[in-house]
Amino acid sequence: MQEHGATAETTEVPHKEGGFPPFDTTSFPSQFFWLAITFAFLFTMVWRVAGPRINSAITNRRGAINGAIAEAGKARADAEAAQAKYELALTKARTNANALAEETRTRLNAEIAKAKADADAKAHEAMAAADARITATRESAKQAVTAAARDAAIAIVERLTGDKVSADDAAKALGN
Amino acid sequence: MALNPMEQFSIKPLVAEPLFSIAGHPIYFTNQALLMIMVALASSLFLILSVKRNRLVPTRGQSMSEMSYEFVANMIHSTTGEDGLKFFPFVFTLFMFVLCSNFFGMVPGSFTVTSQIAVTLALASLVILVVIVTGIAKHGWRFIMLFIPKAPIYILPLLFLIELISFCSRPISLSVRLFANMLAGHTLLAVFAGFVVSLGAAGGIYTGLAIAPLLLMIGIMLLELLVAFLQAYVFAILTCIYLNEALHLHDHH
Repeated sequence: MQEHGATAETTEVPHKEGGFPPFDTTSFPSQFFWLAITFAFLFTMVWRVAGPRINSAITNRRGAINGAIAEAGKARADAEAAQAKYELALTKARTNANALAEETRTRLNAEIAKAKADADAKAHEAMAAADARITATRESAKQAVTAAARDAAIAIVERLTGDKVSADDAAKALGN
Repeated sequence: MALNPMEQFSIKPLVAEPLFSIAGHPIYFTNQALLMIMVALASSLFLILSVKRNRLVPTRGQSMSEMSYEFVANMIHSTTGEDGLKFFPFVFTLFMFVLCSNFFGMVPGSFTVTSQIAVTLALASLVILVVIVTGIAKHGWRFIMLFIPKAPIYILPLLFLIELISFCSRPISLSVRLFANMLAGHTLLAVFAGFVVSLGAAGGIYTGLAIAPLLLMIGIMLLELLVAFLQAYVFAILTCIYLNEALHLHDHH
């Protein structure tokens, strides 16, 4: 791995020059020393400061996100519960309203039926009373006619025969 | 003019004198050290400052930090399961370090930390070390079962040898994969950049022809951006897979 061009280079360097620079062992002690120092420094920084810092930043964020998600989930559950409650109340109110309407309808129907029945009964009563009155009137008219006929018969018989016919006989004779 | 495509991989001290020495080895403050410091500082500062704990809607920066965090966390979780998550800081650091090194290296004129075999080999060795320590800590001597798959007894010695070789080659394959990918991409870019410069300087019709390698360079640049991410991902996920084997042996995957 000898490099030809490197032999005639840079004379101001105290290291022995020539050959392939990475294989120049005179620089190795300095390389190891500085590598040890810088690597140890970076390791300490990463181990003690940067690592925990980044880790807690990530953990904090994850916690905040999870908390926010949990909160959102809770809010959602609350909203759903409220909606369920609202729907329950709505259903209950609707049922109540239906029941009330049904009851009112039933009551009104009953009232209407009762009023109708009352009116019917009154009408029947009035009709019966009228019938009775008609019957009575007819009866009295008939009696009046019968009486008139009897009286007439009595008067006729008296005029024709001079006999006094009793009212009962006259009535019998008239077939009444 | 320095058009050597290997020039970009040479490590140069920014301060001429060594800072100090460890066991006789001088330690320089180099261009690579500067880039590694920039990578470590930039990625740690970005990951820390872009994130606020109680920000519910993330900003662009916080999204990027959280995305990379969750990307690596999911990667570990899907390959090793729940008990692999204790390795999160390690894998996340590896991923961020390699990713930022790769991306910082894409800035023209900068230096690619991961184009050095020393760096990638050190990282890969660290991974294997963590795997071995984890395996022994969790399973004790039973960790040897990692090299003994379910098979007829007469081929077990052979399989043991194969598993052992495959385990030992992991740090090499892990490091060379990253190193070679970065090296190849940046070398290719430098070679084409050299074409653009030399064609452009040649004059006449050649100057017009310089557009061809330039367009090609843009294409390779985009491809290299993908490779920069992909290699960081591959490095991290292979780490997870090795950790999974150390945690669960061959029990389940």
